[in-house]
Amino acid sequence: MSEGAWENAISAQKINIGFNGVPILKNVDFSLRRGEVHAVVGSNGAGKSTLMKILCGVYHPQGGAIRFFNNPIDLTSPGVASKAGLEMVFQELSLIPTLTVAQNVFLKHHPYRRGPFIDDRRANNEAAKLLEIVGVGTSTAPTDIVEELSSGQRQVVEIVKALASNPKIIILDEPTASLSVAEIEGVFKVIRNLKERDISVIYITHYLQDLFKICDRVTVLRDGEVAMNCPIGETSLAKIVTAMVGDTRKVKKQKKEAQAFASAKTLLEVNNLSTKKVKNISFKVQQGEIVGIAGLLGSGRSELFDALYGIDHLHGGEILVNGKQLQLHNSSAAIDAGVALVPENRRTRGLIVDFSVTENIILSILDRLTKRFLLNKAAMSEHVGGMIKNLDIKTQGGNQKVRFLSGGNQQKIVVAKCLSTKSRLLLLDDPTFGVDIHAKGEIMAIIKEFVSRGNGAIFVSSEFNEIIEFCDTIYIMKQGKISTRLDNSITEDQLLYQVQ
Amino acid sequence: MANSRIRRLVFIERWREYVIYYTFFGIFLFFSIFLFNKGFLSVGNILNIARQTAMISIMAIGMTFVLSAEEIDLSFGSVVALSAIIAALVLRWTDSTILSFLAGISCGIFIGFLNGIFVAKIGIPSFLITLGMSGIVTGVARWISRLQSIAVNNNTFTFLFGSGDVGIIPILFLWTLLIGCVGHFLLKKTAFGRKVLATGGNREAALYSGINVSNIKLSVLMINGALASLAGILYTGRLHGARYTLGENDLLIVIASVIIGGTSLFGGKGTVVGSIVGAIIMGMLNNGLILFGFTVDWQLISRGIIIIIAVTLTLGNKK
Repeated sequence: MSEGAWENAISAQKINIGFNGVPILKNVDFSLRRGEVHAVVGSNGAGKSTLMKILCGVYHPQGGAIRFFNNPIDLTSPGVASKAGLEMVFQELSLIPTLTVAQNVFLKHHPYRRGPFIDDRRANNEAAKLLEIVGVGTSTAPTDIVEELSSGQRQVVEIVKALASNPKIIILDEPTASLSVAEIEGVFKVIRNLKERDISVIYITHYLQDLFKICDRVTVLRDGEVAMNCPIGETSLAKIVTAMVGDTRKVKKQKKEAQAFASAKTLLEVNNLSTKKVKNISFKVQQGEIVGIAGLLGSGRSELFDALYGIDHLHGGEILVNGKQLQLHNSSAAIDAGVALVPENRRTRGLIVDFSVTENIILSILDRLTKRFLLNKAAMSEHVGGMIKNLDIKTQGGNQKVRFLSGGNQQKIVVAKCLSTKSRLLLLDDPTFGVDIHAKGEIMAIIKEFVSRGNGAIFVSSEFNEIIEFCDTIYIMKQGKISTRLDNSITEDQLLYQVQ
Repeated sequence: MANSRIRRLVFIERWREYVIYYTFFGIFLFFSIFLFNKGFLSVGNILNIARQTAMISIMAIGMTFVLSAEEIDLSFGSVVALSAIIAALVLRWTDSTILSFLAGISCGIFIGFLNGIFVAKIGIPSFLITLGMSGIVTGVARWISRLQSIAVNNNTFTFLFGSGDVGIIPILFLWTLLIGCVGHFLLKKTAFGRKVLATGGNREAALYSGINVSNIKLSVLMINGALASLAGILYTGRLHGARYTLGENDLLIVIASVIIGGTSLFGGKGTVVGSIVGAIIMGMLNNGLILFGFTVDWQLISRGIIIIIAVTLTLGNKK
């Protein structure tokens, strides 16, 4: 066994964990060898983050044994993992923007002091050494203010901050998600430098192409189980995708009904649309059509919606709805033109959680419900009652606060708000995120019914099987551009392959 | 388990909604018993409280709109003074009640508009803009009045704006009633009011729902300016003159009235009726403390303590 020369930095065996009786990880074996970059990939909900949280000591497994450097360890808290030499670099940036690089790097420990005071000069010198180690000593100075750095530099500072506690293992969670190509190369260089210094890296990402540039080994999780674990040289993108998706026949393909809109008119036409975030987008939506936009996080899919909905200013191109060119200065102009948006993140953008069900549903049609200056109570409760019934929203009544409803019902309320505007075109940004499987089906049925009445929808999702299941036409979006147009006969693994 | 947690939350919310009314009756009962001999319950004294409370109530109604939209206005005290002085000067020059009223109100609307442009269109926090504006406006008020009181002798003006009675009902009380009703319906029953609360409840969600949040912010600051001016004009009518010191001590009392009344400092929740009751509580306290024979310093101290207790009861329970 040539592998005998390697010492395992982490070896976890038969890890089991579940929440509320639902198993999340089932007998997962995971080992990280010393000095390797080990990719952990899987679809949303496959158990990646749960496994990482166990290794960090946030969750305690309900079964299994973990060893760090061949010593059994009981990870009771994040402090224990940190002391044992493991640091996690989170996806959500944890830097304080107004402080300098050095102040951020040593934020946790403030190790350099002179009496009761922080020794800034020494902290700067030590931070400079760390920046040198990761190979960015020339481009980033310890005295730079974090908010003036690019996102790529910030990601590197984030790694340097983890290095400050001198770890032997580092977990990187989607470090390249919002970076440009050049910045991603920079992060890769940093990872190679870590490797040279004998630091083992767990690398979590959705960008499967990157695995072949930087990783030594890959573990694929699917539904809480290890679906693949092998050296990167012995596998291929296609094999990894297959392992992630599993049996593709599971995806039920609903046969499209015969085109009811043989003479369907074009509802939306976008020509060469550009904003700060997206470039030269062109596509069409016909009556009765659901168009899917498949792209990874940071591909510009949400930014495309912001442009169509009047939130972001256009730098060029045109948007035509029913053949009429739109001048969108704000979201109310978009709604007037018949475009409604179910935004990403319903709790911050979709809903006012301390408002009642009724108040949320009528938020976009307040003016229409006004009769002689006052809101028309009767019309209001009739409208909301109809929506609650048609969309089957589970609530104690219109007066219940949205905060207390389940994710699925909250999302139905956002959809109800959009349908209320009588828009012809519905933009849906990841509408099934954090929604249980039953409510998912219901929401999609609502959208299908809406579209069948001669309307149109654009659907963005991280769940590619949903895109294939629900959309008639699929566009691939990468780095702010639409690259390919596909029909829905594509399979999930092909789609996952295409977006990389 | 989740259910009992929800029930607890709902209970706390109900409690916060009604605590103002318990407080009101508590204080009223306390004074009625202990100040009975000193005539707390006499018709004259009750009407007196109504008069003293009017201006605070009207300012509190404006502030209710501002806080509901998650903004704040610290300049309204100075607007009270400047509008009063402008109304008094215009009255002196033209002897026209209408022109004087319009000039005073326009002054407040204009300052509210300036505040609003900076907050809504340029994106400066209202806290800073209105604090700066308050300095400017106070300075202008001192300068154009040359630190002198401007007396008002027009009987129509003084009758309409502060000193008159209709039967035994003080005209100030009618002003409060009028503004209170309009304010209540505007906030609770119109599309505009709903948009104000939505903007304060979650600016981003309001924006994504097609609400023009910058126009809403501009509007609430203009409403507050207009009502501060009205308060200034009423002070002028009641005192038969305007002075640059008018309104300078009202900031704390007005904001306390609104918060105690149940409007959220963090937007999204507002009640005009609660604010008026809050203002009446403040007036009652003032009156009671005077009847108890407290000196001004002790009035200030006790009022501060009571405000802190009341606000803690309203906002506390953060666990």
